[in-house]
Amino acid sequence: MTQNTGTCTIALHVYSMHVLHTKGVNVLQYIGTSLPIHDSVGKATGGAKYAGDMTVPGMLHLALLTSEIPHGIVRAVNCEKALAVPEVVDVLHCFNTTQRRFNRYRNIHGQKLSNQERVFDDKIRLVGDRIACVIAETPQAAQLALSLIEVDIDPLPFATDAKTALESGILADIHPEGDVYPVKEMIMGGEVPDLSGTVITQTGCRLERHNHVTMETQACLADYDRCTGQVSVFSPNQSVHGLRTVLADLFEIPYHKLRVVKTTMGGSFGSKQEWMCEPVAVAAALHTGRPVRLSFTREQAMLSTITRCAMDGTVSSHAAKDGKILSIDLDVTVDAGAYLSNSQDYAAVICSKLFRFYTFPHARYNARAVCTNSPVSGAFRGWGTPELFMMLEHHFNTLAKDLHLDPTDIRLKNAALPGDIDVKTGQTLGEIRAGACIELGREKFDWFGKKEAIKTFNVRGGRFRRGIGVGCGGHGNSYFPRREDFVGVEMRMAEDGCVLVNMTVHDHGCGTLVAMRMIIAETLELPIEQISLGEGDTDKTPLDVGCFASRTTYVTGRAAMDCANKLKDELIARASLLLNIPAGQLEAANGVVSPRNGGNGLSFGEIAAKSMHTEQREVFVSHQYISKSNPGVTGAHFAQVEVDTYTGMVEIQQYLAVQDIGRVINREITAAQVQGAVAIGAGCALTEAMMPDKSGKFTASLKDYHLRNCPEVPTVQIEFIEDGSIDGPYGAKSIGELAIVPVVPAIVGAVNDALGANLNHLPLTPDRIVAHLANGGIAWN
Amino acid sequence: MELNFTVNDKPRILAVSADARLVDILRDELDLTGCKEGCGEGECGACTVLIDDKASHACLTVAAQLNGKKITTIEGLGEAGKLSVLQNAFVEETAIQCGYCTPGMILSAYALLLTNPAPTEADIRTALAGNICRCSGYHQIIRAVQRAAKEMGGAR
Repeated sequence: MTQNTGTCTIALHVYSMHVLHTKGVNVLQYIGTSLPIHDSVGKATGGAKYAGDMTVPGMLHLALLTSEIPHGIVRAVNCEKALAVPEVVDVLHCFNTTQRRFNRYRNIHGQKLSNQERVFDDKIRLVGDRIACVIAETPQAAQLALSLIEVDIDPLPFATDAKTALESGILADIHPEGDVYPVKEMIMGGEVPDLSGTVITQTGCRLERHNHVTMETQACLADYDRCTGQVSVFSPNQSVHGLRTVLADLFEIPYHKLRVVKTTMGGSFGSKQEWMCEPVAVAAALHTGRPVRLSFTREQAMLSTITRCAMDGTVSSHAAKDGKILSIDLDVTVDAGAYLSNSQDYAAVICSKLFRFYTFPHARYNARAVCTNSPVSGAFRGWGTPELFMMLEHHFNTLAKDLHLDPTDIRLKNAALPGDIDVKTGQTLGEIRAGACIELGREKFDWFGKKEAIKTFNVRGGRFRRGIGVGCGGHGNSYFPRREDFVGVEMRMAEDGCVLVNMTVHDHGCGTLVAMRMIIAETLELPIEQISLGEGDTDKTPLDVGCFASRTTYVTGRAAMDCANKLKDELIARASLLLNIPAGQLEAANGVVSPRNGGNGLSFGEIAAKSMHTEQREVFVSHQYISKSNPGVTGAHFAQVEVDTYTGMVEIQQYLAVQDIGRVINREITAAQVQGAVAIGAGCALTEAMMPDKSGKFTASLKDYHLRNCPEVPTVQIEFIEDGSIDGPYGAKSIGELAIVPVVPAIVGAVNDALGANLNHLPLTPDRIVAHLANGGIAWN
Repeated sequence: MELNFTVNDKPRILAVSADARLVDILRDELDLTGCKEGCGEGECGACTVLIDDKASHACLTVAAQLNGKKITTIEGLGEAGKLSVLQNAFVEETAIQCGYCTPGMILSAYALLLTNPAPTEADIRTALAGNICRCSGYHQIIRAVQRAAKEMGGAR
């Protein structure tokens, strides 16, 4: 079954080995169709309000002053001139705000983390660190005052990369805990197998820092009612309850007095699951007792929030001559940036994805996070998995070359099989389709045909060289088993037959709300227009960890499906009383509960209305779902590139993404997520890098941070393998983070194939490619 | 200065400073917040509006350049309560995700269709080169523009 949709072909593969546990594939009304995101009309007309668009009466405007030097001690902040500007209310800085510290990454109450940050600190640790905040009646006054603040800073020696920091030791005092944070060595698998006669291979990668570049920068509106003590925070965030624990603990506010509401989010990719903007806004609201709004500039979004870490990694392996790796050893250094934030966890969690596509009998993992005077590292789509697979895939390409094996064959040799155990967690990989992704992909991509064609093209020599590459990757669908993963849902049936759903979701702009409504509408067999669902609001929606870890569709979607089934059961139970017919003789279908053997039934709305009038009861159910599985979810991507050996520019000529997704919920939006992942991944592979200048300032402008734009993004062919998972809603597994994992290795592999090279310092910018070629680098046989 | 210009077909007279940016005038003075600021330096295209029917960066245009000009923002496309053909195509083709680039993207596409009612895919890609979308890979956006061109009678 193939749908041709303009520039993109989306194919659906239904394998017979696994029968969908729900309904037949073709009878579903909503699942697998394409629906626009819930607020697309508002977004198309300018009516949708993002946090930076919100205004409330009496609102004050904030402007943030950030450091221009990378390391130093603040001796004085002179605000005299700034305060003299008409309409300036006050200036907050390290000498007049709370001394309490927080961790920007915390998202669960009681999470044990180092609290290294203050809202404003008297120690500056990076260019972009927060120094002060002007509070003013108008944005113009705030900006003018910002330029008049005088800050006296004693500079300290600085290092903007982990190697320099480690070798020099100059950052040993950057935090009371020091600058190096080791991860406990992990040895995985049984005893070391017999390694005699094996091939030993060692490879390494240097991955530079990336920025999320969400089109909407971080923003927040905060209000404080001095009469009631109520603090309200409106921001585009991925975890209302996570943000609540951090803000409430930081400012010593009871949890019930702090309300966090998720606003329309202009993209996240991980950048809005850590808290840099909201603490400043809340400090200003508490200080003034008035509503305040803060929007980060693009420069602040690049320097003063979070980035994907820079990373150095080495991979060593012992492999049999047939390419099967028997033992693998990874060593990873994560450049944490100026605050540890999530980096120690990030460094540790990388190895938890080691067995999510391949299986290795034995593995060892060592890692450390190192603080430097760089933008703070944090969550980024994939949370370390794209980096891990870049290192693994580069290793496989090197090994394949040494052993004269095809890159797809060596991967198949090592790919995990359905039912294999994840060696790290001891849990089953369930319905993993790693091998199927490679096999289907190389057939659809015509891998071997292209291989021959490229050989013929390149042997002619000349300016342009072509190459092909494959990238594989796996990911998870939830926190399980690292952390218990649960979701609460409530549903109310209104008297007119509409369903009001209450759950904590955070739409990043990738259609979470519509996906949940599709699942609920499918389950209740109701028109989707009758299902309503809001987003996270700590005053109203149930406790939830947040929308990250690729858990939303798999865990939250399943919770929604189960709750909808519970609502159906409740409707039958209510109808049974109202109709005086045993529940076992009733069925719910198409919005009506009716006797199985015929006769008049009651519509869902009638049941709700009659229950209210005659039983004095609302038709209401709540459900708590605890997820206890995390099957393998994988993808294999294939790229053909052409490298201009004069300029070092790379054109991606063909691109295929095969995704083992279990089941697609919203087809076009899912395809768009994969295509979007390829667009970001292509940037990470070829052009996007945050680099420091001599003053220690990193790339802070889109002029210098090169995103792939519309003419440069390749047409992406997509193949979904949809044979259902056991526990996901309608068989769905995750997609958002996974989709970016195979992209960089596929493109980098293709460039290296084109040049007969082994380039491993990413991104492969034109400069790096040209430098390689200038050093006699072209080595095509 | 006194700024005398037309915004979404309505004549406007505003007292603003000569160096006030159009993006701020639209957002702060006229509450037209569909015009988004993404970078402030003309790199991302989120603030794109039409000035005399040409796609322009509202973050790089100041009041002193605007007297007598005709500005069209996203709020000025379509009639009240009804989407324009192009807006509808963006919705129907699922060309909208986080939506922050959408107003600028639609206005760049609108400016293209004004001068080139039957654009090729390459024409569309070039016209949208200055508008960054970070969510999608542009496929649905290109399709939406193709669909609108067709529905407006000019498609190839």
